[in-house]
Order: sequence, then C-alpha cells, then structure tokens
Amino acid sequence: MEINILSFGKIAEFITINRLDTDEIFDTDGLKQQLEKTYPQLKEIKYKLALNKQIVQKNIELLPGDVVAIMPPFSGG
Amino acid sequence: MNERYSRQVILNGFGSMGQDKIANAKVLVIGVGGLGCPALQYLAAAGVGTLGLIDGDVVSLSNLHRQLLFTTNDIGKLKIDVATENLTALNPEVSLKPYPFFITQINILNILKEYDVIIDGTDNFETRYLINDACVLLKKPLIFAAVSAYEGQLAIFNIFDENGIITNYRDIFPIPPASGEIPNCSENGVIGVLPGIIGTMQAAEAIKLLTGIGKPLINKLLNYNLLQQSFYEIELSPGSVNSYEIPKDETSFLNAKFGFSKNKETYRVIEIDIDELQNINKENDTILIDVREVYEIPQLNQENYKQFPMSNFEKLVNENLVQTNIVLICQHGIRSLAAAEQLHEKYGTAKNIYSLKGGIARWKHFFTSQK
Repeated sequence: MEINILSFGKIAEFITINRLDTDEIFDTDGLKQQLEKTYPQLKEIKYKLALNKQIVQKNIELLPGDVVAIMPPFSGG
Repeated sequence: MNERYSRQVILNGFGSMGQDKIANAKVLVIGVGGLGCPALQYLAAAGVGTLGLIDGDVVSLSNLHRQLLFTTNDIGKLKIDVATENLTALNPEVSLKPYPFFITQINILNILKEYDVIIDGTDNFETRYLINDACVLLKKPLIFAAVSAYEGQLAIFNIFDENGIITNYRDIFPIPPASGEIPNCSENGVIGVLPGIIGTMQAAEAIKLLTGIGKPLINKLLNYNLLQQSFYEIELSPGSVNSYEIPKDETSFLNAKFGFSKNKETYRVIEIDIDELQNINKENDTILIDVREVYEIPQLNQENYKQFPMSNFEKLVNENLVQTNIVLICQHGIRSLAAAEQLHEKYGTAKNIYSLKGGIARWKHFFTSQK
C-alpha cells in the first residue's frame, strides 16, 4: 500500500519522504509507530496528523493513495 | 458616505451595513509584533470602532524587518506608544485602547471581556494557551495565527459552524510543548514578509467575521508555505473528551497552571491618583521615579525624585532601589505602568510599586504648583 506523506515546519527537516510504501501499516496508529521508529526525533515533539485534510482524533484505517499530513505547533509571531 | 471607507463600502456584500458593523465592533490584538502590526494597521484603516492593543515590550532593532509600524528612530520606545501614535495618525476615527503590559493569567479575563473578537499575535506557547483557554471560558471568537521560518498557521476558534461544531487550539495540540521542544522566531528565524502575510490574513478573517461576508476559517487550520507559495487546509473536529481540560469558571482559571513560573502576586501593580500619591509621599520610605525622557516638559522639582528615562530602562532595572514604596510617573501614565509591571517582576512583593494614573498631564496643576 502506498501512502502520501506531507510534512510541515521542523518535521519537514527530518521526514523528507513524500511517499511511503508498506505492507505492514493499516491505520493511523500504525503509521505513527512506524514514523516514530524511523524518525526518533518525531517522538520528542508534539505533532498532529491529518488524513485527507481531516484532523485525526482517533485511530483511522488507511487506504492506498491516502494523504497524511504531519503538523507541529508553531509559536512565532 | 465617509470618503475614507468609500472603496470598501461600494463593494457588493459589504456596503454601509458592513461598515456600520465594523464601526460598532471591538477587536483586541494581543502582541504588537510581526503578526500584530499588520493586523492592527489594516483593522485601524478599515475603521474598526474600538481597537485594543496589548504588549509590554519595547522596539528593538531585530523587530524592524517584520514589524512595519516601527522605524529605526523608535528603538527603545514602548511598542504600545509608537503603535498608538502611528495608528491614530492612520485613522483618528478609531478608538484605540492601549495596554502597555503583557497579558497574564491575572489580567486576561477582565481585558478580554471588553471585546467581541480576539486576535492572537503572541510569540510563545504559554501565552497562546492562556489566550485559548480564556477565550473558551468567555466564549470569545479567537483568530489564531503563528509562524515559523517560512510557514504559517491560521485558524478561527470558538465559533459554532453550521453543523454545530466548535473547536479550540487544544483540539489540535491538547498539551503545550515543553520549553525548547519547538523553536521560536528568535531561535529558528522568520522571514520578514511571512508574518506580514499571515497577520494581514488575521485582519481579513476579523473583517469577514464582523461583516458576515465570505467564509471565515471556522474549524479549519490553514497551513501556508511561503517558499512553495502553497496553502493546505485541514478540517478540524473536537478532540476526544479526556484529551485536555479547560477551566470551567473564573476561579479555577485563576488557579490553573499555565506554566508561568512567576508568582502571580508579582504581576499586581497599583494605579493611584494624586491624593494617594501625596499620602504615599508622606512616608519616608518612598521614591518618585520619572520615566520620561530628559527633554520632556514640565521638568519636575519634587522631593525624593529621580529620573530614569524609558530609553535606558535597563539602568532602572539594574538599580537596586532601597525604598519600599516606588511610585512611577510619566506624561500620561502609560509608560509608567509598563515600567511598574517590569519592576514588579524584579521585586515581587518585597516592594509596593505604584503607577500614577493619567500621568503628569492629568495632574499638571499639582506638579507645576510645586515649583
């Protein structure tokens, strides 16, 4: 299954891929685990996922071609 | 028709009704920085009836690449003073309410109650969560924005959409990041034009909310990328029930922990009138500190009086004052209040710190008759 990845802010500095091809990820929780394993920096910061432009508030099943955005908070003004 | 607003009043959907709505509105801009400056400029120009602005900081050289309300000559001056002067010149029809201090857990609720729409233009998470929670408690529409490097975020919280859904910042990020977890502008940098764009969008969203035109960004988070010149909009929904807690009433709000390490008592400054000043002056342990610049008139000739101009405020902060009662004065009582807040941070409850409300201008007779 192929998932599209969009990273924002600081996260884009270490998650530089925009596609993830995997047979082991089925849902957003699984994706989080996988990302945090591959990119340990992600575990150190707060972030939020959006699936197909909808904020992820609970575990959701992933389908091929889904777009997952990974967003950190910004504080600057 | 007022010629000043003629170009927006002739717009379809805006009209004199839209202008009236703006003229009757009260908008508060918290933080007069990269986001706050452009938001204030456009809102003042558009004719927002009452515009509050709050910031305790002074203008510094590193502000100038993005905070275009200020010029090189303003370095060291209180942001609120300069902003008020320039915004008044831009549109004298707007009633400006300057608050020359930082927003705190103690003062936020009373200030927010006066306004219809709140704009967050601050630069740190502690204050952002404070503003978010206060807006939830008081049910105030919040136009949130934040920037980092080349990217920005923008959203409107605390308004029910057509489906009856309402969200706040904690529905995206329930818990504030630890300090150092996410870099701020001074650590990470920011391109000057970015807060100009995002702050201007905050003003645009405020005008849309007030007039009812277009589709405001309610329950949406807009991500903007300046390098790609791209927008990515996320639909928001409430987080799960137990993911965060917001104080339910004012007492629990005042007792909540927002990560402010300083004792809240230290934020209490007392504003006094001339009678109280005279009473305090009778005590031997009192010093009167004038924070006006040396060229400002009238020059005073008081007992226990010392001048510490605001342009060299560091000197006052570094001075170890021996007196217990410190009364700060300036021309209109605005700079002195800001100075008093700062001294409070230094001395806490060890000293009684006062600011003369209305300043020398209001009590001119008293000060000039003393000569």
